Amino acid sequence: MGVPIDLKMAWRNVWRNPRRSLLTIFAIAFACLVLVFMLSFQFGSYETMINTSVKIYTGHLQIQAKDYQEKRDIRLVVSDPKVIEKHLKGIPHLQGFTFRAQAFSLVSSGKRTYGTLVNGIDPKNEASVSRLKSLIVKGSYLSPNDYGTVLMGQLLAKNLRVGIGNEITVLGQGRDGSIAATVLRIKGIFRTGIDQLDRSTMYIPLNCFRDVYAMGQAVHQVVMVVDSLSHVLSVKRQLAGIILHLSADPSLVVLDWEELMPGLRQGIEMDLISGVVFYLILILVVAFSILNTFLMAIFERTREFGVLMAIGVTPGRLMRLLFIESLILTLVGIGAGIVVGVLVTRYFQFHGIDISGASDLLTQFGITGRLYPRLSYISVASGPAAVLIITSLAALYPTLKVRSLQPVKAMETV
Amino acid sequence: MLRSGKVKIVECIEVTKTYDQGNLQVKALENVTLSIGKGEFAALAGPSGSGKTTLLNMMGGLDRPDSGQILVEGQECTTMSQSELARLRLNKIGFVFQSYNLIPVLTAAENVEFVMLLQGVPASERRQRAKKILDEVGLEGLYDRRPAQLSGGQQQRVAVARAIVANPAIVLADEPTANLDSKTAKGLLEIMLKMNREKQVTFVFSTHDEMVMGYARRLIHIRDGKVYNDVVQG
Amino acid sequence: MQYIQLAWRNIWRNPRRTIVILLAVLIGVWSMVFLGALMRGITVGMVKNGIATLTGHLQIHYPGFHDDPSIENRITNVVQLTETLSHVLPDKSRWALRVRVPAVAANARHSAGVTLVGVDPVTEARVSFIGGAIKMGKYLSDEDDHSIVVGEALLKTFNTKLGHKLVLMSQSVDGEMVSRAFRIVGSFRAELMSTEKQYVFVTRRSAQKMLKLRKDITEVSILLPDVNDVHRVREALLNALPNSEYEVLTWTELLPLLTAYLKLYDQFILIWYLVVFVAMAFGIVNTTLMAVLERIREFGLLQVFGMRPFFILGEVLVESFILLIIGIAAGNALALACIFGLGKSGLDLSAFAAGVEFAGMSRIIYPDLQLQDWVMANLVVLVLGLVVSCYPAFKASRYRPVEALAYA
Repeated sequence: MGVPIDLKMAWRNVWRNPRRSLLTIFAIAFACLVLVFMLSFQFGSYETMINTSVKIYTGHLQIQAKDYQEKRDIRLVVSDPKVIEKHLKGIPHLQGFTFRAQAFSLVSSGKRTYGTLVNGIDPKNEASVSRLKSLIVKGSYLSPNDYGTVLMGQLLAKNLRVGIGNEITVLGQGRDGSIAATVLRIKGIFRTGIDQLDRSTMYIPLNCFRDVYAMGQAVHQVVMVVDSLSHVLSVKRQLAGIILHLSADPSLVVLDWEELMPGLRQGIEMDLISGVVFYLILILVVAFSILNTFLMAIFERTREFGVLMAIGVTPGRLMRLLFIESLILTLVGIGAGIVVGVLVTRYFQFHGIDISGASDLLTQFGITGRLYPRLSYISVASGPAAVLIITSLAALYPTLKVRSLQPVKAMETV
Repeated sequence: MLRSGKVKIVECIEVTKTYDQGNLQVKALENVTLSIGKGEFAALAGPSGSGKTTLLNMMGGLDRPDSGQILVEGQECTTMSQSELARLRLNKIGFVFQSYNLIPVLTAAENVEFVMLLQGVPASERRQRAKKILDEVGLEGLYDRRPAQLSGGQQQRVAVARAIVANPAIVLADEPTANLDSKTAKGLLEIMLKMNREKQVTFVFSTHDEMVMGYARRLIHIRDGKVYNDVVQG
Repeated sequence: MQYIQLAWRNIWRNPRRTIVILLAVLIGVWSMVFLGALMRGITVGMVKNGIATLTGHLQIHYPGFHDDPSIENRITNVVQLTETLSHVLPDKSRWALRVRVPAVAANARHSAGVTLVGVDPVTEARVSFIGGAIKMGKYLSDEDDHSIVVGEALLKTFNTKLGHKLVLMSQSVDGEMVSRAFRIVGSFRAELMSTEKQYVFVTRRSAQKMLKLRKDITEVSILLPDVNDVHRVREALLNALPNSEYEVLTWTELLPLLTAYLKLYDQFILIWYLVVFVAMAFGIVNTTLMAVLERIREFGLLQVFGMRPFFILGEVLVESFILLIIGIAAGNALALACIFGLGKSGLDLSAFAAGVEFAGMSRIIYPDLQLQDWVMANLVVLVLGLVVSCYPAFKASRYRPVEALAYA
């Protein structure tokens, strides 16, 4: 028939001891299943965390004055945003951009005073870059014609004891050193779920901010969103080229989300590495667990191998035959594990995993509602690939022992 | 002793082999010299422990002597590497053992085909030759049976078929009938004799059974590792 | 006794096979105990840090202060409070009175929101981290009326140094904004950079003066000799103090995120134990099966000599038991060695400083072996290991002598 006898033999040898082979296959499948699910789970949550942070906070890329990120000095500005805007129009993959200005100031209602980060935003463009509009829980979002209105974080509103329609006073320092003061009316209250933000940020219209803080035409941040994470670096390169040519500003920099939130990327790296450690240990335990199957399958056939060598099978060929057997076992296990793993993950990819017990905790990191694992080529392939490599190494050990078999001795084995 | 005019298939010259058994040194073979010619049907006869199996293993390149030479079709075996010996066994020598000859997971035909596969014979030709040889040893229709589904005698016949199908220079059989009842044993020996006559296949088998010795045309008596008698009989 | 001897010898009939499965159990148990201790170490570190960063084991405020930490919600009857404390709290408890309010810190270059903490230098040092954290300059002393101690990261943000001025603004009791200038006399280092940027320390008296508080305070933080006593002491305090005037909160309530973290880790650890065990279990069952199947003839023989099937089952289980015990012991030994080895220096995560900060963890993790984790890990392997061994053991006992002896 079409199938060579080598393969037929290997396949049938695998099933000589069905129970033992099945247990081994289940062990391998179990490991693959766990890995596919867990990796999809991890990658899914990373993606959610990154997207949330990007969509609420920083965008994918920002253009700022040099050192602004660290110093947050009101005088470190992007002086001519309009010029930059013209260059942004032509960049592929750029999905949206907006301007922001920030200052730390005192905010008081009649009864309370708190320090707050005041953000000046362009309501229309901001909506294309961040999710702020959808996070409004009371009142309404800023409209393009608004001037003296403000959106306030929920915890901040609570602490200040104010609600929609109330007035608050803002007191701070302008760009030129003058006193910046104004009265604003609360138009909307938002809730991001991240206590830091809800407790100490508010948003006012950009033109109002510019007047109050004597900004002129300048802003502090040009915030940009890219259509997918994979394009961030190429857009960054283009932007870097653009700002190099603008002689108006002394020194601007382009920062990507990893530089804007170094903690996030490292936090993800840490999580990934610790996950990998656990996974490797799991695979190692499985490898030793099934090593005995490979060992037994070889040592209980020593006599048979003697006969094979007597009729002319070289040690090399024998090793190959045995390795193919182990490979069949492993591949069946991996295949089964991947299939079941993908099915299970898919189910949760649609339904999500309810972690209501820890929901307050996870919203701080930007994970809201349910957790959704996400299948990807990497999450499906990398775990089983590692299993394949390590189990193949385990299978290699007994196979190597066959190399030194002497036919006569082998056949004398009882 | 040598039949004049016959081509030497296997030649043993001053072959000696010693084994360690605990603290003792046992001389399995001591300066054994003999030749097997083409077409012979010879038996190595002797009690257990006489060294007949050891001698058989030597002749088939399964074991190396401590001193002396072994020539198979003129080629010096004692200095060959493992792979070269394997190739020798594949192409020149057929083996039949007392038991556990066959690969349990392959059918009778596949067991016979296996050797041809190793030799690189194309698939269609393999199948044909396997069936043909199985017919010749009296196993028509049993091609697709696994060893577990065959009787002891039938299994030994498949072993003989496999040994012959590759056209070896010599077939070495180590007590091939030891596990068979006398009727089946006779049947097997008849087949071997038939193959020897019709195809000129050289046979050397070891035995301690008088009945089996009766079938041999040349009887080589071995005791305590030495050949003490070498006769040609009818 | 003969059972055990027999079982022991049987295990070593095939040394390589036994060693292989022992290695599987060893690695599994090692990972359970060691990695479990590391995971615990992370949470324990976070709790320690949380408690030391001003939370303490218990806090007492005016009702509503926790939600609304403003000067309106202050404690006025301080004398009554301290008397009650000295009666109710167990010996060796320590407490510190504080004025803690949100404020804005500013200098010529920068302004930012901070938390102003007015403390009694000596008592505070015994209750929170600040006592040993001063790395440059000096700590506060009782007479300092215009000194302030800030975090190192804050120095950087404000681009300032020791000896320079820092102005603090906050709301006083009459609702007015007040400000006061302080001189930076010392800087501290904390586990988290956010701590360094957030808290600024002055003497309680200067805070009270600045905010026109007279003798009032806003919170009391308490450190108990035994942290597990927390709930009992809380009950006692609630009974002793008028509920309309005081709220008493435990650290679990004060750090709900941390508490959620702990619960999450509890689940992680258990899931890890189970997953590793399942991986081992396949090997345990398979190996025991192999060991049984190659001895079926022998078991038949034993039954012929009068041994009852039940004892055969028992004997196989004893073999499994011995195997598991050896593997568990070895795994534990290795894990304990690793824990001990890492105990002094800890696992240094400085390479991930930003990520560690993001997750709220300490930079150095010390493994922490807790009894319940350790017992759970070993029980899971031993008990479940025996349970899965029942299958092959049962099989061993089911062969009738005739069948067994005929087994080829």
